[in-house]
Amino acid sequence: MRKAGWVWSVVGASALVAAGCATYPDPAATRGIAEKMVREDFTAPSPGLLKRLEQDKAQQLCSKIGGAALTQEGAAEVVKLSRASIQYPASGKLVGDWKVGNKLAHDGAGDRIQGGRLEKRKENGGLCQNCHALAPGEVNVGNVGPSLTGYGLQRGNSEAIAKLTYERIFNGWAFVPCSNMPRLGATRHLTPEQITHLVAFLIDPQSPINRKQ
Amino acid sequence: MPKTRGGLAAILLGFLAPWGALPLLAQSEDPLAVGRRMLAEDNPGELWIERGKALFHQKRGPRGASLEQCDFGMGPGKLEGAAAQLPRYFSDVDRVLDLESRLLHCMVELQGFKRDDVVRRAISRPASDGSDVEALALYITSRSNGMKVNVTLRHQKEYDTFKAGEYLFHRRAGQTDFACIQCHGEAAKRIRLQDLWNINDPKHIAEVASTWPAYRGAHFVVRTMQWRLYDCFWQMRLPELKYGSDTSIALATYLQVRGNGALIQVPGFKR
Repeated sequence: MRKAGWVWSVVGASALVAAGCATYPDPAATRGIAEKMVREDFTAPSPGLLKRLEQDKAQQLCSKIGGAALTQEGAAEVVKLSRASIQYPASGKLVGDWKVGNKLAHDGAGDRIQGGRLEKRKENGGLCQNCHALAPGEVNVGNVGPSLTGYGLQRGNSEAIAKLTYERIFNGWAFVPCSNMPRLGATRHLTPEQITHLVAFLIDPQSPINRKQ
Repeated sequence: MPKTRGGLAAILLGFLAPWGALPLLAQSEDPLAVGRRMLAEDNPGELWIERGKALFHQKRGPRGASLEQCDFGMGPGKLEGAAAQLPRYFSDVDRVLDLESRLLHCMVELQGFKRDDVVRRAISRPASDGSDVEALALYITSRSNGMKVNVTLRHQKEYDTFKAGEYLFHRRAGQTDFACIQCHGEAAKRIRLQDLWNINDPKHIAEVASTWPAYRGAHFVVRTMQWRLYDCFWQMRLPELKYGSDTSIALATYLQVRGNGALIQVPGFKR
C-alpha cells in the first residue's frame, strides 16, 4: 500500500514534469498569443480594412480584463489623447439640422463586412437608437447607454452646451475615459457634419427628443 | 425612407417578438415571455438532429467514409458526452479545437472534403435548408443533452487558449471601440429590444455554454457558436472571423469554461 502510493507519486510527478507543469501564461505571453491570433484569423476585402483590427493607444489602455481598474495615469493619457483627437466641422457651425439628426440617430447600418464585401453607403448610421432611449414613448431603443430623452430640456441649447455635446459625440473618452460609448468622430465612423446634425437632434427645442411628456 | 423602415421594423417586430430572446434572459415583466416559452417547447431545430445523425453515419466525400472514426476526445465515434468536454487539446493536430473545428478536421482528413468547400458552406443562408455542418454540430452536441459542461484545462495549450479567449473578450478595436465586454458585462442591458446576456451572471453564462447550436427564429435555420461569434464581429464593424480559427476557438473556450456545470440542452431557441 505504502509502496503503491510512492510509485504513484513518482508517476504523477513525472507526468507533471512531462507536461511542463501546465499553468496560466503570464499577461505578456497571453498578449503575444492572442495578438498573433488576431493577425491571422480575420479576412477583409482589402488590406486597409484589416487595419481595423489594430488597436490605437487609447483602445489598448481601455482594454482591461475582468474589470481591472484603469490607473490614474492611464485615464489621464486617454483623456489627453481624446482631447487632442477632436476636430470641428470646416463651417465652424456645431448645430446642424435636427431632422437629419433624427434619421441618423435611428440608422444602425453602414461599414459592416460580410461575404467579402464592405457595406458601402454614402454615409454611416449614427447607431444611437441601439443603446439610448430617444424620443418620449419610443419603445424600440436600447439601454446600454444613458437615456437621452429630454436631453435639451434638461440642458438648454446654449453655445456651451452645443460644444460640449459635439465633443462628447466626437470623442466621449475626453470626458469619461474608456466608457462604452464609441468615439464616433475620432474613429471616423461619423463625419464632423453628421455629428452637428446629432447635436441639433439632441438640443433643438423642436426635436422630438425634447417633446414634453 | 425612415417611415418605410419603421413600418417594416414594426411588422418584423410583431412577427418575431414572440420568438424573442433567450427565455432565461427575458425580463420577468415582459408580457411576451410566455409566448416565447411556448414556442421554444416546439423547437423546429429538433428536425435537424435526425438529419445530422444520418449525415454522421453516411459514407460521404471523395473517400466515401462516414464520420464514425472521428475522435471528438472520447475515442473514435464516441459521441456521448463529447461536446460537453470541448474545446480541448488534440495531440494529432497539436492544437486546441472546438466541436466545429474538430468536425471540419474529420470531414477533411477522413472523408476527403476540401477544407475551403466545407468552410464556404458551413454557415447557411437564412431560410435555407441549413448546412451539413450545422446539422452535424447539432446532432453531436445533442448526444450530450442532460450532461454538464465540463471543460478542463490540463495541457499548456488549453491554458493558453483560455487566457487568450479572456484577453480577446476584452480587446477593444475598430470604429465602434467595442470588445465583447461592452455589451456582455452588465446586468439587464439591451440593444434596441434585444436582451443581452451578462458574463458575470451565472445563469446567463450557463445558457450561453449549454444552448448552442440553436434554432434561430429570425433566420429559420439552426445556428452554431461559430456563427454567433462571426456575427458579433460583423456588427462590431471588424473584419470577418475565419471559420474554425484560433480566435474563435479561444473565445469559445473562454465561454465554455466560464459556463462549466451548465446542463446541456440543444437545440437552443433564439430570437
